[in-house]
Amino acid sequence: MVRQLRDRVQNDLGFEIEFVLLDSTQGLQQVVTRPESFDIYHQWHTSDLIWTARCIQGIDLNRLDAGTRIKAAALARTGAGRNMHTIFDRLFVQDDGRLGVTPTDTIAVMPALHGVDGFAWRPERAPALRRGERESWGWLLDPRWAGHVGLIADPVLGMIEAAMATEVQLGEPFGDIGNLTIEEVDTIADFLIHKKKIGHFKGFWNSQAEAIRLMQRGSVTIQSLFSPAVSRLRAQGMALTVASPTEGCRGWHSDIGISAAAEGAALDAAYDYLNWWSNGWAGACLSRQGYYFIFPELARAHLAPEEWDYWYDGQPAARALPGLSGEITIPEGHRREGGSYRERMSSARVWNTFMDEHTHIARRWGEFLSA
Amino acid sequence: MNTTEAYYQLVRQAVDRNIRSGALPAGTRLYVSALADRLGVSRSPVKRALDILENDGLIRRDGGMGWVVGDAPADEARPNLHLFDLDLPDSGSAVLIKPGWERILQTVADELTDCIPFGIWKISETELCNHFGVSRTVTREVLTRLHERGLIAKNRASHWIAGPLSAQMLDELHDLRRLMEPLALRRGAKQLERPHLLAMHDRVQVALDAGGQPAPDDLDAIEVDLHETCVAPQPNQRLAAALPALRLSIVINRQFTRHVARHQEGALLTEHRLVLDHLIAGDADGAAAALRFHLDADHARARERLKVLSIFGGPDGDTAPYLTRVV
Repeated sequence: MVRQLRDRVQNDLGFEIEFVLLDSTQGLQQVVTRPESFDIYHQWHTSDLIWTARCIQGIDLNRLDAGTRIKAAALARTGAGRNMHTIFDRLFVQDDGRLGVTPTDTIAVMPALHGVDGFAWRPERAPALRRGERESWGWLLDPRWAGHVGLIADPVLGMIEAAMATEVQLGEPFGDIGNLTIEEVDTIADFLIHKKKIGHFKGFWNSQAEAIRLMQRGSVTIQSLFSPAVSRLRAQGMALTVASPTEGCRGWHSDIGISAAAEGAALDAAYDYLNWWSNGWAGACLSRQGYYFIFPELARAHLAPEEWDYWYDGQPAARALPGLSGEITIPEGHRREGGSYRERMSSARVWNTFMDEHTHIARRWGEFLSA
Repeated sequence: MNTTEAYYQLVRQAVDRNIRSGALPAGTRLYVSALADRLGVSRSPVKRALDILENDGLIRRDGGMGWVVGDAPADEARPNLHLFDLDLPDSGSAVLIKPGWERILQTVADELTDCIPFGIWKISETELCNHFGVSRTVTREVLTRLHERGLIAKNRASHWIAGPLSAQMLDELHDLRRLMEPLALRRGAKQLERPHLLAMHDRVQVALDAGGQPAPDDLDAIEVDLHETCVAPQPNQRLAAALPALRLSIVINRQFTRHVARHQEGALLTEHRLVLDHLIAGDADGAAAALRFHLDADHARARERLKVLSIFGGPDGDTAPYLTRVV
C-alpha cells in the first residue's frame, strides 16, 4: 500500500489499520484458509477463487455509498463498451450462492481500480521495423528482438502474454485466450521452451523493481511492464514507448473484499474503509501512476484539470505532471499512448484470471522457467 | 480388510482362527492343495502359512501326508474342506481373499485421486510393493488397471505418472457420469429400503440444520449414501464397474472441505435431499432427474473449487509413501 494512501485513510477514518503485503501463493493460501487473519483484502485476479472459498463475505450494497452507482454501472454496460467492466460478469451473489451478472443487493467484492497493461519498448534500441509496422505482442517472441526480451515470471499474467505472442508467431488463433485448453497451453509452453533454449530471453522479473533493473541495465529493450514501473523509468529519463498492440491489451481489475470472519465493530470499520475508498480520493491518487478508478467521475474531483486531461482524456500534458510521491514523471507535451480512458479500456482483449487449467499452466510455466 | 498384510499372513490368521474356534477340529488332515482350493488362493502362501502354524504348535506334520490339526490322532479319511463351515474374512464370497491387485486397487486409486488435484505425482513401483507388502506382479496388475481407468500414464522416462486433475478431465468424466449414474439410480431405486432412505435423509437434514458446513467425515458419509449406496442395487455389472472411475470429482469436495475454512455445502445438501425425497416417495424417474440436476450443479462447483485447490501444494494429511510430487 502506498504511503500517501496509508496516512490519509488512517487520518480520515480515525482508526489504525495494519497493512500487510500478501502477493505470493502463500499469501493467497492464508487468505483462503484463515479469513480471521484479515478484515479487508485488496485482490487482483482472484475474486472468483476467493468467493468460491467463501473466505470473503457478501457486501451489502445498501451499506455502500457507491451502491446505487455499482448497480447502475452493471445495468448500463452494453455494446462496444462491454469490455469496460468485466468484473461485473461475476460480481453479484445469486440465490444459489454463486456469482453472476444479474444485479442483486449483495456483491462479492467492491470494484475499485482497473486498467490495461501492454508491453513497453525502447525506440532507440529497437531493431529495424517494417514500414508502417504496428506494435504487436508477437514482438515478444520475434527473432528480431532475440536476446533483448524480458518476461514477467508470474504464470497467471505471463501465460496470457505468451499466448498472445505465440498466436502471432505461429499464425494460429487460440479459442479463448482467457481460458486456454491443455493442448493450447502445451503448444505455448513447447514454443517458449524452444525460444528459451536458443537464447531469446534476457531475463524474467518477479517484481516491478526487478523489471526496472532489467531495463536500466540496458540489456532488455522490450518487455511487459506495469504503469508504475513505466512512470519510474520515465522519471529517470528513459525514452520508453508503451505499446498499444494491434491484438489488444491485457486488462486487470483490483477490488476490495471483506473477510468472512469480520463482524461487529470490525465489520463496521470494514464498511467505513470501503466507503472511504469509493469517494474517489484514493482512485485519483493512484491515477497518477496510470491506474483508473472504477468511477472516473469521482476521481476527477480530486485531480487537477491538467491531470484529468492527461490521464483520463488522452490529451497532451499541459504542464509537467507529478507522480504519486510528487516527483515529475510526465514531461509537458507528452501524450499517453493508447488514448483516452474509454479508448484504452476498450482495447482490453483478455483479463487477468486464474484459468480453469491453472494447475497445468503453473506446471508447464515452471518447466519453462527452469528450462 | 487390512490391505497391507501379505497373503500368507491372511491365510495363517484364517486357519488359526478356525482351529481355535473348533471349525477345523483336532485330527483334521490339512493338505496344501485342498486348503488352497477351499480358500481360493494359490499354494505357496498356504504352504508358508502352514509352516508358521506348525511352528506355533497348532498343527503337526504327518510325514508325506500333509499336516494334522492339534494333538489328536489323524482322521483316516481325506476331508472335503468345502463341507466345513469356516469363518472367513470375506464371508459373502467363496474365497478367502480377493486377488492381490483387487485388494489394493481401490486404496491406491483413492490415495492417487487425493493427490492429483495438486499437480503431478510419480509412482514408485518399489515403494508400492513395500508399502502394501505385495509382489511386483501384483503392483504391475494394479498399475495396468489404473492405466485403463485413465488415472495414470507413463512419461517419456517410462515412469508412472498421475495427474494433474484438469478441468478437461472433469468435463469428460461428467459427460459420462450424468448419463450413467441417474440410470443406475433409476434401475435400483425399487430395492432401496425405506428406513435406510429415511436415515440418509436425516443425515442430510441434520447437516443442513447445522448451517450447511458438515465436518469432512460427515460429508464423506453423505456422498457415499447417494453416490454409492443408492446406486448399488442396480443389476448391470458393466455399469457397476464403470461408475467408480466416473466419481473422481468427489475428491474435490473432499479436499475442499479439508483445506478451506468456511466451505458452504448448503446447495449440495439441498440437492441431495431432493433426490432422497423422490426416492422416499417411490418416484424413481424424479430421483434420476434430481440426481442429474445435482451432478450438473456439482460439476460447476467442482470446476470452481479445483481452481482454489490449485493454489495449495498437496493434499491435506500425509501422502502415500510411494507417491512423489514432480511439480
